[in-house]
Amino acid sequence: MTDPVDEQAPLEAVLKDEILRMYQEVADNPSGSFHFFHGREAAELFGYAPEWLDRAPASAVDSFAGVGNPHERSNLQPGETVLDLGSGAGLDAIIASWCIGPSGKVIGVDLNPAMCLKVQAHAAATGTQMECQVGRMEDIPVPSDSVDVVISNGVINLSFRKRRVVEEIFRVLRPGGRISITDIVSAKQLSQSIVNDPKLWAS
Amino acid sequence: MFRLLEESGFTRVRSAVVPRFRFRKESTQNSAEAYGVKAVMMTAVKPPRP
Repeated sequence: MTDPVDEQAPLEAVLKDEILRMYQEVADNPSGSFHFFHGREAAELFGYAPEWLDRAPASAVDSFAGVGNPHERSNLQPGETVLDLGSGAGLDAIIASWCIGPSGKVIGVDLNPAMCLKVQAHAAATGTQMECQVGRMEDIPVPSDSVDVVISNGVINLSFRKRRVVEEIFRVLRPGGRISITDIVSAKQLSQSIVNDPKLWAS
Repeated sequence: MFRLLEESGFTRVRSAVVPRFRFRKESTQNSAEAYGVKAVMMTAVKPPRP
C-alpha cells in the first residue's frame, strides 16, 4: 500500500517552487497586484502599530504578506528566544526583536535563501538580534527545547504535512513555551482540483 | 489546526477569527467564503515539565 504522503511528494515539490515564486514576486514587486492584501496596507488592516511600520525598513514592510497580527497575543518578554516560522522579508521578526530587546534572540526560518539574506540585511540595518536559517517548516533547523515562543503568520497552511509542522513546533519549544500564530483555515475539505493546483494551494 | 495542536500535546489552545482578513480579489474572496476559509489567531502552550 502506498503512503499518501509519498503519493503527494511530486506535487509537494511543485508546490515548493510555486511558493518560492509567489512570495519572491511579492518581495521583488511590492507594488504589484496580488489576490491578497500585502505591504503596509495589509499590516495596517491587521492592526500593526503605525510606529512599528514607520520604524521598520521599508522593504520589510512593503514585502509583508501575512494574514493577521501574531504580536497581538504573543506577549513577548525581554530576553526571550523567538522563532519566526516562515519569516519572509522579516517584518514580524524585526518587531519581535524590538519586543525582546538586546538580551533576547530572534531566529527566522524560511524556505527561500533570498528572504534569509533580506532578514540578515534588515538585522544589520536595525541593529537587532536576528539570524535566519534556510529550511523547511516540516524539518525546522533549530535544536529541540530551545525556543520560548514560536510566531508565524500565514505560512503553515501552505504545507501538505501540517501535522508534521505542528510536531516540529512542539519539539523546538522549551517546556512551558508558547505559540502565537495567525494562519488560514478552511471549514470544508478543499476540492481535489484546488489541492492538485499548486498556484491555488500557494494562494 | 486546533485539533492538530491538541493532538500534538499543546495545552491551553485558543483560537479567534482575524476579523479584518479578506482577499483582495472578489472572485477569490467568494471562493474562500464558499469553503469557509478564514484567518485565525491561535495561541497554545507546551506543557512545562512535571
